[in-house]
Formats: sequence, structure tokens, C-alpha cells
Amino acid sequence: MLYGIRFRLGVLLAAFGVLATGLTGLYSYTESRTLLVRAAERDLMTATQVFGKRLSTVVHNISDDVRVLAELQLTRSVGDADSAAFEVNRAALADNFKSLLQASPQYFQVRLISAAEHGLELVRVDRDGPGTVRVSGDRLQEKGHFPYVFRTLQLARGEVFLSKIGINHELGAHAGLNQPTLQVASPVVMADGRKLGLIVISVDVNRVFGELKADLPSYLQLFLSNEWGDFLIHPDASQTYGFDQGRRVLIQDSFAELQPLLQGNAQQLLARADLGATEPNPLLGAFIKLPLGRAADHSFVVLGIAEPLSEILESTRILGRTTAQIVVAFSAIAIVLAVFASRLVTRPLNQMTREVKRFSSEHAIGELPTQRRDEIGELARGFDEMQLRIKSYLAEIYASRNHLAHVARHDTLTGLPNRTVFLDRLEHAIVTARRRGSVLAVLFIDLDRFKEINDTYGHATGDKTLILVASILKMSVREVDTVARLHGDEFVILLEAMDDEQDARRVAQTLIDRFAEQLRINDRSFELGLSIGISFYPRDGADASELIQRADEAMYLSKHLAGNRYSVFENATKE
Amino acid sequence: MTPAAPRQQRRAGPWRWLVAVAFAMSGWGSAHAIETLRVRAWPGYADADIVKVFEQRHNVAVRVSIVSSDESLWERISANEGGDFDLFAVNTAELKRYVDAGLAVPLTLANIPNIATQLPRFRDRQAIPNIARNGQVYAVPYTYSEMGLIYDKAQVSEPPTSISALWDPRYKGRVLAFDTSGHNFSIAALSLGKRNPFQIDDASYQQVVDHLVALRRNVLTFYSLPEESVELFRDHKAALLFANYGTQQVQQLRKAGADIGYVIPREGALAWLDCWTVTRGAKNKKLAEAWIDYMLERQVSHALTERQGLANTVEASDSAVGSAKIIWLEPVEDVNRRAELWSRIVSGDRPMALGRH
Repeated sequence: MLYGIRFRLGVLLAAFGVLATGLTGLYSYTESRTLLVRAAERDLMTATQVFGKRLSTVVHNISDDVRVLAELQLTRSVGDADSAAFEVNRAALADNFKSLLQASPQYFQVRLISAAEHGLELVRVDRDGPGTVRVSGDRLQEKGHFPYVFRTLQLARGEVFLSKIGINHELGAHAGLNQPTLQVASPVVMADGRKLGLIVISVDVNRVFGELKADLPSYLQLFLSNEWGDFLIHPDASQTYGFDQGRRVLIQDSFAELQPLLQGNAQQLLARADLGATEPNPLLGAFIKLPLGRAADHSFVVLGIAEPLSEILESTRILGRTTAQIVVAFSAIAIVLAVFASRLVTRPLNQMTREVKRFSSEHAIGELPTQRRDEIGELARGFDEMQLRIKSYLAEIYASRNHLAHVARHDTLTGLPNRTVFLDRLEHAIVTARRRGSVLAVLFIDLDRFKEINDTYGHATGDKTLILVASILKMSVREVDTVARLHGDEFVILLEAMDDEQDARRVAQTLIDRFAEQLRINDRSFELGLSIGISFYPRDGADASELIQRADEAMYLSKHLAGNRYSVFENATKE
Repeated sequence: MTPAAPRQQRRAGPWRWLVAVAFAMSGWGSAHAIETLRVRAWPGYADADIVKVFEQRHNVAVRVSIVSSDESLWERISANEGGDFDLFAVNTAELKRYVDAGLAVPLTLANIPNIATQLPRFRDRQAIPNIARNGQVYAVPYTYSEMGLIYDKAQVSEPPTSISALWDPRYKGRVLAFDTSGHNFSIAALSLGKRNPFQIDDASYQQVVDHLVALRRNVLTFYSLPEESVELFRDHKAALLFANYGTQQVQQLRKAGADIGYVIPREGALAWLDCWTVTRGAKNKKLAEAWIDYMLERQVSHALTERQGLANTVEASDSAVGSAKIIWLEPVEDVNRRAELWSRIVSGDRPMALGRH
């Protein structure tokens, strides 16, 4: 039994367990992975939208600052250059601008620009290093040819213009020079509807995005492009503002899927790109179109937050590892359970096997799991019943065999050994006597008047007579001597290990004396009388049949002499 | 080393020989059968189909590399003393330094018979700067673009005749000029009647600068890209446009639905002119000259105009150019000085601030 049922059942159960765990693990891994990637996509999109909302809020707040300044009475008071208070008002407004710059580190410049004099700056405060500087006198510049001036002057009171984000090359801009800048402007309208000019705040784009970006996890990458796709923010700063150096570095060249966003028929998109310069670094990004400025301008930027695919897949890798661990753990449990279950099933089977084996060798009924209320219990009960039945059959068989053996060797009426047994014992005794050189005697006995009893009182009485005779004969000899009934009223006695022939004569005489008395059978008295013939070994014969023959002849001699006597064969031949 | 290694080496022997011989034969064959012409040109100058005809006709291979900027062209041609290319296309202003450096070599005009089919303007080698020196011809004109004036027919009844129209107060706030230092100084000099717009003397500088401030005060804005100019022209109802990109802008504006006219002012229009030039390192000068001759064939030159919107030198332009005065670009007296001043002017500095520097 190299691979017994226990092993095979165990392997089968374990295989089922492992397979089920494995498949469940695989399924849950692929499902969870899809969910994770989707969740990552959703998170990215949410992050981008939140970022966009915050950016819009920032732009909104800047617009509010511009509007507030444009509405100040102080601002309007600068409109009258002939007024005595002109310089005082300009200085006061400059102080206001200065305060605003100090409070708002994301502003490069705050200016009041005249609608007249080719867009001459009336009040200008620039950020310069850690502080601010008021630009005045000859250093004030004419800005009328800049879009943020001539386009803002076309707007109504309270409307705000947002320039395209670009590099500010306006010489003398101090901290803002050659920096990415957004100009936010609103017209200053006098009470009579005349446009005095405009308030312009130059916004430090990098600072605004730097502050917004500070809240993003470091592995997220921020992208910003203008409405044509030119990168304004890119993890690699050299890829930004390419148009400023006469080349175009476009977002749609990196993220080809963004084309619909730029062409106006999509508001948000997921896109992939590989920005790895030396080694692959695939990214997944969520991009939204963010309107910038007045709706009428249809101006927008594309904002995107991207995450390295490796970052997203890292979590699925962890998921995979956890799933694998769970699968392994549960497989181990399944294997242990399989071993246990197979033992549970095979232990009673083994017990029964053992008991059945023992039964077949020892016919002993051992303990079987008959108490179980399952198929095994049923089987055990079946075994038990079968064992009991077999046992009872066997008992019967043994009994009848013993009986048959007894019957074969004994006389059924008297219970004395029959002729076969007698011959057997006689031959045995002859062998023993020959070896020892001892003497044995065969007494052949015939009842003298049995026929009369049988004829007179019937066979039943005859049988009882024979039984009584047998018991008397048996009681009259030693234990070692054998009394047998040959047939009818003929009995033989084997006397072994005698000291001499006289012993046999004494036994014969004792028997004759005994039967000379009346026998009582069924309240009747009978006088039977015996005729006995005696032969001796080795004197009268060398084998059993010869000895019996001689004893028989001697008996006939006794009978012939009117019975109730014994004759020795020697005597018989002599007489 | 394992015992098997020498056996493998022995077995590899015949193979290596075979491969080596095959390589040697193929290399030997191609080196002698197919000659390669190395051309460096601007985008659109040598399209694949055009190149193929030349290759078949001369049974040679042509390798075209694309130029991205004047500076990169100079770097690539001057590297290895011109040995990396057989010929290249360069504008007349840039050509000077190649001739000065000896990177361009004189041409044998007899090998370029199609020169005879060029318009007279391009055969006048005295009028075109730098292509001829000491009786030797160094370059053959191929394509050009002049910078005329575009006007809105609805707002401008009489076509402007002078470059000074850009300064005309009638068009204040409706003029679009180009954001560049070099050309703007040149047109200001032309407007002021200077004889050579590329050489402004010190005495005239303040005058030109003031004139550019005046231009700034008269324009709506300065544009950079042709698409941008079209948008501004349309959205802000501009009346006058200095067409830095010439006929390209004319085409784009007309496509955008603008009813415009295009004129060359009487002072002349600045124009860049790209010429074919053979390098000192040319392997087969005759083949290079054959290329130039091929470029001047009518259908090849016509393809350039048709595909790129650039004027060629063998067909009369359908624009307003005609026989009008064209001023081919030349190197200017001081590129850096013009650039530095221009960035101050365009930033909005007033004359009093500019005068101090």
C-alpha cells in the first residue's frame, strides 16, 4: 500500500483546497488590481480637479485684489494730474501697492497704468529681492502696446483680463524679469465713464504653483500647458516655455491622447506618456481643461497631475504579495485539514481492517466504531453483525464436527468407543507393549442371556440393559483400560500394562462375579451372565485383529461351556 | 577555458572568413557603385520625391539633413572644416561669414546652366550681397521672402507707398509690427531715409531709437508668429501689418477671410534670400553643382512655391513684388547693440530713459 487511500484522499482534498484557494486568490487579485488602477485613475482625476478648483480660487482671489484696487477712490484720484494732491495720492497708492506686495508673496508687480500717454505707468511697485521698490520718474515705462493693456482697456468696469502665461521680458521688472508671469488686470473707470487706465498685478506663476503643489505627494508630477499645448510646468524645467526660445515643446507630443482636450471637445482626460530620458518611466496622468479669464476669450490652460505607473503598480504588487501570502497560508491550512480529514475517514477504516484481520486470525471480536451514526458506523455495525454471525456459524460447525467425530468413534447407545477406536488403541498399545516388552490382554465379552431379554421385554429394555452393562464394565476396570462395544451384545476390554496374566483372569473373574448378581432394570431383575474370552499379547498374536480373533475364539469356548465363565485362549486350545 | 572552446573556434573559422569576404565584397561594391551627395537644407527644400529623381538621374544617393536654425547650420558646417557636407542652403546675411571663413568655395557656373533661366533680379550679382567676391561666385539664389506691407482694404483707401506708413498717426493703434531687433532698426533707418539700413552709424543711433519709440507708440502691438498676426489682425481690426513672413502671411490672412492688399514700399522691402553653396569639403564639386542646377529646374522650383508658399527664382512672383525694390538682408553693424536697445524699447522705456544709455 505505497499510496493508500489515506494518502490519495489527503492529496485529493489538499489539491482541491489549494486549487480553490489559488483560484479565489487569482480572481480577487485581478479584480482588486483593476479596482486599484481605477481607483488610482479616479484619485488622480480628483486630485487634478481639486487642484484646478484651488487654482481657480487663487485666480479668483487675485482678480478680487485687482478689482478692489481698481475700485479704490484713491486709485481714481490719481486720474487728475493737475490736482495739487496728485503726487501725494500717487505715493499713497504706492503704499497700498507695497502693502499688497508684502502681504502677497506671489505678486511680482502692482501697477496703475494710464489709458493715455501710450500706456504710461502712473504708479508702479515692483518686488525686488526680499523687499519692494517703487519705480517712478523717468523709469516709468509705456506699456500701451502690451495686450494686457490694450485688451483690458476694452473691458467694462469690474471685468478682469488674464494674460497668457509667458516669460516676462519687460526690462526693469525687477524680481519678475524673465520669470513665468500671469498678468491680471482690470480697468479703472471714472465716475463719468472715462477710463483712467488699469490696475495690473503681475503674478509669479512658479510661486503660485509651487505653493499649490506643496500639498501634493512628492511622487505626483504636475503639468501645465497653454491652450496650444506649450508646456508651462513640467517636472523637467527645460521643457517649459519652449516657445520663448523659438522652439515648441508640446504636451500633445508627450501625451498624444490629449489632442481632444486641446481641440475643444473634451473637458477631462486620462493620458499616458513615457517621459523617461534614459530609462522607461511611464506615467499615467489626469488632465483637465481649466478656463482662464473671461468666458468670451475662450482661453484655457491644460492642467494635469501624473503618477508614475510604477507607483500605481507598486500597490498592486503589494496586493499581489499579500494575496500570494494568503493563498499560501490557506493552502497550508487546506493541506493540514486534508491530512486531518483523511485521517478522520481512514482511522475507523484502519481500525476495522485491524479488527477484521484479528478476527480472521483469532476469531476475536474487537472494538468497532459501531457507535458512529454515519456510513462508517453502518459499515462497522455490518462488520460486527457479520462477525457475530460468522462466530455463531463457526460454533455450530465446531459442535457438529465434534459430534461427528464422537459419533464416528463411539457407540451411540452406550457411549463406549466403537470397534475402530478399539482397534486403534489396541494397535497403539501393541506398539507400546512391544517396545516395553510388557504384556497386554484382550477380553472378549458376550452377554449370555441378552437375546431372551430383548425378545421378552423389547428392544427398549434391551438397550437399557446394554447401557447398564457398559457402565458396569467401565466401572470395573482401571481408567487406563479401554472398554468398547463391538456390536450387539459383544464388548471388548483392553487391559494394558499388566504385571502378568493373572491380572486379566482376576478382572475377568470380577466381571463374572459382578454379573452373577441380579441386575435391576425397569423394576425388573435380570440375570445376564457373561462369557469371556481372553487373549494375551505377545503370546497369542502379533496384531490387533489376531488378538481379537483369539479372544473371540476363547469366548466361544466359554459360551460353549455353558457361559458365565472365562476362558483364556491358551486354555481354549488346550482344552 | 573549457576543452570545447578551441574546437568551437576551429569550427567557426570558415564561417568568419565567409562573412568577412561577403562584407568586404558588398562594401567594396557599394563604395564604388553608389556615390553619396550630402545636402544640408531647410525644411521643404528637398522633399523625398524631388530627391529621388535626382538620385535616379545621376545614379547617386542623396542624404538630406535638415537645418533648424542659423546657429546650428554654422556649427554643423564649420565643424570638420566643411568636410561633413557637400553643399548647403544659407541666406545672404549669413553667407558672409562662410565665405570669410573659406568654408564656401567658388562655383563653376558652366556646370549650372539653369542660372540662365533665373529672373534678372537674381542674376544681378552686384545687387545681391556676398554671393560674389573678387569675380568669383560663391552662391546661387534659390528662394526668398520679402517683408512688405499688408493693409486692410476697408480701412486703407490708398495703398501705402512708404514704409513710413507704419508711423502714420492715422493708423495709430491699428498697426501690427514684428517683435525683432534687427529688422525693426533696419526699417526705421529706411523710414528715416538712411542709405544703408544695415549699417547705422553712431551719430544716427539716437535718431533711429527715437523713431522706434515712435513706432511703438503707433502700433497696437508687436507679434511673433504668423498665426498670431492673423489673429490680432482680425480681432483688433488692424489696418496695417509689417509682413515679416511675407507672402506666407498674405496667404494665411486671405485664407482667414481678410480683404487685404500687399505692397512693397518705395524704400524697398527687406528680404531674406537663401542660396545654395558648395562646401570646401565637397567630395564631388561637379555633382554638387549638378544638384544646384537641378534645384533651378522649373518644376523643382515650382514645387517649392506650391508646397511651401515660398517664392522661387525662376518664376515671376504673383505677389506685388514685380520689379519693386528688394533689399537683400546683410549682416548689421552691431547685432548685440540693436538687440539690447530693442528689448528696452519694447519694454516701454521712454526716450529720456533710453537716452541715458
